[in-house]
Amino acid sequence: KGATVAQVPVAEGKSLQQTVELLTRRLELLGADKQGPFCVDCETYHTAAATMGAQGQTGKLMYVMHNSEYPLSCFALFENGPCLIADANFDVLMVKLKGFFQNAKANKIESRGTRYQYCDFLVKVGTVTMGPSARGIAVEVEYCPCVVANDCWNVLMEFMQSFMGSHAPGIPSVFGTKHDSIYSPADTMVQYMELFNKIRKQQQVPVAGIR
Amino acid sequence: MAEGVLSAGVNLEAFSQAIAAIQALRSSVTRVFDCLKDGMRNKETLEGREKGFVAAFQESLHSVSRDLGELERLSNLVGKPSENHPLHNSGLLSLDPVQDKTPLYSQLLQAYKWSNKLQYHAGLASGLLNQQSLKRSANQMGVSAKRRPKAQPTTLVLPPQYVDDVISRIDRMFPEMSIQLSRPNGTSAMLLVTLGKVLKVIVVMRSLFIDRTIVKGYNENVYTEDGKLDIWSKSNYQVFQKVTDHATTALLHYQLPQMPDVVVRSFMTWLRSYIKLFQAPCQRCGKFLQDGLPPTWRDFRTLEAFHDTCRQ
Repeated sequence: KGATVAQVPVAEGKSLQQTVELLTRRLELLGADKQGPFCVDCETYHTAAATMGAQGQTGKLMYVMHNSEYPLSCFALFENGPCLIADANFDVLMVKLKGFFQNAKANKIESRGTRYQYCDFLVKVGTVTMGPSARGIAVEVEYCPCVVANDCWNVLMEFMQSFMGSHAPGIPSVFGTKHDSIYSPADTMVQYMELFNKIRKQQQVPVAGIR
Repeated sequence: MAEGVLSAGVNLEAFSQAIAAIQALRSSVTRVFDCLKDGMRNKETLEGREKGFVAAFQESLHSVSRDLGELERLSNLVGKPSENHPLHNSGLLSLDPVQDKTPLYSQLLQAYKWSNKLQYHAGLASGLLNQQSLKRSANQMGVSAKRRPKAQPTTLVLPPQYVDDVISRIDRMFPEMSIQLSRPNGTSAMLLVTLGKVLKVIVVMRSLFIDRTIVKGYNENVYTEDGKLDIWSKSNYQVFQKVTDHATTALLHYQLPQMPDVVVRSFMTWLRSYIKLFQAPCQRCGKFLQDGLPPTWRDFRTLEAFHDTCRQ
């Protein structure tokens, strides 16, 4: 299952919500079926000061993510680091570990929207929100029959161009490191994490996009 | 059908003897336990009691082992009925007493005969057509072969060992393709072909003829709940449903009744071209996608990739 997650910029002279509608309308015209809502969320944890070594090393950030596509799982990731896939009650464990990991509540970011199916493709168009403000648009496209992401990159690319036009993204870095190994849900989560980090650093979009 | 009844009749004698032997064995085993249950009977002396008990116990054990030996001897005579039957397990359908309601067995025989005849005539026709070849040498060979071969279509009754050899040779031919052969239902082979990390194919064979083929995704389950190959359900993905259709077309295309091994090899060679299913653009329109599907058709001669609607 090769999948790619990309950000689509807000169309000129349009609000964020209008751009999302534009995208979904194009998908529906293509013949895609609407399949209900989806949600991907991400919480940030700081390593607590008490556990930091005497050398004064900076604490690493850990991200705990959920994906409605995998409702029974919870993903814990470090930037550039390993990705752990755990049962959903991993969250309870994180509460117990609050002496070591502190939840940066203000940093919670999520992408919500509608899931579409077109032939063997799954498309998720979501609005990325952080706290009360909408920050951008995330589009995830997955080609389900193919287990090696690199193999189906051309297919994915052509499909994305058909409804995203020139905003279709370049090849994700995850694909490059995977070679011909089998694509896993964790690879999608890494892409979401990278996208969320990028969006966090961007300027806040004007208030027009608040839902 | 008469044949089937006859071969069953030969075994009937042995069967009834075996059943009698089982009954004898059961009653002698019962006697052993009875003897144990009753324990020592009242006798004058303690020694007498023990002696009587041990003797009775020994005797009943002996009769158990004698009956068991007899049953083992008989079971060799009976053999395995389903394997002796010319139609294997399907031959058991003839035992169904309600013939009128379910004429499955007679229909099966009809179909079998029809299929044999078709195979035979196809063989003859292919022989005749070969004689009309433009090559002179082929023509001369045709003259000597003019006498009709009256042998039955031998290709339907090839020994399993030969089929194994052909398949394992093909398996070695293509490193990116692995073929797993199994025989869950009698002598007919079933193949599970795994092509790279792209797809899996279930191939149902009858002797060296391919009867049915189903293409599924690499990550799809090809087994039923009880661990057998699932030869009935189709893939969840549209692209593999399409490839299944094309593979069935290919089965009809690659036909050479006199050289079934060549047919299997050509089919596998054709199938192997799907290793680039998601990577090869259409040779006609140059695109990857059409109606949401990659180029699912492979030309039978050139093995080039085309969309279903782009071929010819």
